[in-house]
Amino acid sequence: MSNIDKQLSRRAVLRAGLGVLGTGAFAAFLSACGNATTPTTAPAASTAPGSAAPSTAASSSAAAPSSSGAAATRPAGSAAASTAPSASGSGAPAGAAPGSTAAAQGTPVGVSSSKGAKNPNATKVQWWHAMGGANGTAIANLTDKFNDSQSDIYVDAIYQGNYDDTLNKFKAGLAAKQGPHIMQVYDIGQRFMIDSKAIEPIQSLIDADKFDTSQFEQAILNYYTTDKKLYAMPFNTSTPMLYYNKKAFTEAGLDPANPPKTWEDVQTTAAKLVKKDSGGKVTQYGVAFAIYGWFFEQYLATQNALYANNDNGRGATRADKVIYNSEAGVKILDWWKGMIDQGIATNLGRSTSDAQKAFTGGQIAMTIESTATLRGLVSNVGDKFEIGTGYLPRPAATLDQGGVIMGGGSNYILKDKADKEKQAAWKFVQWLALPEQQAFWHVNTGYFPMRKDVYDLPLEVENAKKYPQFATAVNQLHDTKLTPATTGAILGVFPQARASTETAMEETFLGKSAAKAALDKSVNDINQALELYNSSVK
Amino acid sequence: MSIVTKTAPQRERTVGSIAGRIGIYLLLIVMAAIILFPLYYALMVSFMTPDEAAMYPPNFWPAAFNFDNYDTVLRRLPIPRFLLNSLIVSIVVVIGQLITASLAAYAFAMRRFRGRNLIFLLFLSTLMIPFEVTIIPNFQTVQAWGWTDRYSGLIAPYIASAFATFLLRQFFMTIPQELHDAAIVDGCSSLRFLLQIVIPLSRPALGTVAVYGFLQTWNQYLWPLLVTNERDMRTIQIGLRFLQNEEAAAPTLIMAGVILAVVPTVAMLILGQRQLVRGLTAGAVKG
Repeated sequence: MSNIDKQLSRRAVLRAGLGVLGTGAFAAFLSACGNATTPTTAPAASTAPGSAAPSTAASSSAAAPSSSGAAATRPAGSAAASTAPSASGSGAPAGAAPGSTAAAQGTPVGVSSSKGAKNPNATKVQWWHAMGGANGTAIANLTDKFNDSQSDIYVDAIYQGNYDDTLNKFKAGLAAKQGPHIMQVYDIGQRFMIDSKAIEPIQSLIDADKFDTSQFEQAILNYYTTDKKLYAMPFNTSTPMLYYNKKAFTEAGLDPANPPKTWEDVQTTAAKLVKKDSGGKVTQYGVAFAIYGWFFEQYLATQNALYANNDNGRGATRADKVIYNSEAGVKILDWWKGMIDQGIATNLGRSTSDAQKAFTGGQIAMTIESTATLRGLVSNVGDKFEIGTGYLPRPAATLDQGGVIMGGGSNYILKDKADKEKQAAWKFVQWLALPEQQAFWHVNTGYFPMRKDVYDLPLEVENAKKYPQFATAVNQLHDTKLTPATTGAILGVFPQARASTETAMEETFLGKSAAKAALDKSVNDINQALELYNSSVK
Repeated sequence: MSIVTKTAPQRERTVGSIAGRIGIYLLLIVMAAIILFPLYYALMVSFMTPDEAAMYPPNFWPAAFNFDNYDTVLRRLPIPRFLLNSLIVSIVVVIGQLITASLAAYAFAMRRFRGRNLIFLLFLSTLMIPFEVTIIPNFQTVQAWGWTDRYSGLIAPYIASAFATFLLRQFFMTIPQELHDAAIVDGCSSLRFLLQIVIPLSRPALGTVAVYGFLQTWNQYLWPLLVTNERDMRTIQIGLRFLQNEEAAAPTLIMAGVILAVVPTVAMLILGQRQLVRGLTAGAVKG
């Protein structure tokens, strides 16, 4: 009896096990799809609106003890960056053999290099970054090159998910006093990083070393400068620009060499670009932009209008009010909605990848995208049509004012590390900023080179032939008037603010609310969040 | 004559039932097609070139089956290693949850002791604490024990589950208390009663717990991201993220990665399907 029972139960366990595996398969598919469909949506959108208040509270409380005592720096430093032999850890057999580096180089390198240091006494530097795909490969190539070029420092570049994931992991590490030496953070995380008190301002390292930044793009430096101090080393920067389908322009009798420059031009051009089939159904819209808060911020800057008070929070006093419900803000939404109502623009939702797809698929003839997207768009379009680029359009009334704001990410150096490690991290960050690396980075990713003296390098000259469209991006950058408005706002609650403007745009375009009312509501919400944030860090 | 009258209604019935059956199969085929379509499309996109995938109207069949995407993904990422990690972690968590939850549920359901209901309520109240609240203390603990970049760090926080305990306790409650009392009177130990009577009777509930636990663990993202840094310790969910680009989506590469991640698990589903169905229905009738 008990024997039969045992057999039965054994069989049952077997069945249960197989069942589990089967459902696992389904789960893998579901989850994989889930990941795949949410890739490039606005990073801000995935931050839950409520998340900043508790997390900043946690970080400020965590920052207090770590900055108070010098003793606290020891465990943090030694945990993350002990010297090579023990640090390579459990599962990395490849790193053990010194000779394996050459072999590993022949094959394309992974997103994170896991080769291990040649020199066991090398100072180990961890760099957390948020660059997947081709950008991640470029990072791996750069770190490998650095590691091979010298043997005193070993940089381990670790991919930690998208910007939000990486920042979340960093926040968890703050509380546990453990983190990387170099941390890549997105543009709108700047205020948070400063307030975390966990970073060493790049300015102090630059001053100590008399590091030369005269060849850096001033606009890029400005974006990471607050109260006259450079906090982060710019790394991957981009601005938005206009992309248009040259073939569609020719077919509509428009000049393919002459994209619209003003909002008014965009409207008239888009109207001419609309194509309908015999049934009256639209097969090609004139224009569409993703509902992305970043574009809203950019359109404000093209009018030289501020996003937040106190000069966008760039001076000695931080911003305590957002003011994007101004006339300039309302104008953006009215113009945009006007084109949708007219049937010449279409609303493709918040996901920038959806707008990209519609553009490369020929369903829309013009769109706004990051300059860093150029390569991806060109490769996805193939030989279906030629892509043209133009400046981000602006209202005719403010044509010669304002400009675009930098977007993207930058590298921060963390404070609570041993001096030797901090210096090693700084050396690497300096190396990354050299012309040769900047050209490599630009050519392989599409992000701006952060310096002006790279465009004569052979790599760049070749790239300019392949992607002549990128000249627009560079010219637009240089033509931007440097004002507080074009430097961009710096806010502790920027991720929420961006998501909130997206909600306001959505409600306006769907006719649920008037532009002014939607923006007023958003400003109201964000001012409350901002007050809470500011009081938590003071 | 009599033969004719006999066969006519019979044929009618068979014709009717055949028509009904065809209808049912048609319905099933349509449902299956709806469910399988995303998987099919993912598979097809994984063979396409980027500009082919970006075409509108969309292509549902690649111009040529090229394996470049797979080649790139496999050279860029150790997908098999990611899958192995996910599998190890998920299976160990499931086994751990089955053991801890069945022991705890047995105590709550069968044993009588002072404060049992109070403790059970306390136990249940932990269900109300969101995972995000415990993540930092958990992380600090794992960190302090030096369990980052190890399977133990990935597994340990999930080895016990209040939900699984609750589920099993409810099921164990349906087993008559008299059975327990009689067995104890006859000198059966609690452990033996659990193993030989309760567990065999509770196969459906155990199966549910196992499936649920496996899915939860397999789909984890934030926790494995926090406690691993080394690439070889990443799980598949994080691994797939490596293929995503902040600025421009590369759907063909991502789909190739997705297919690679799904193939082993689908293969196991196909191989184990018969046992799965038999196991579930057998449990349903007996339980």
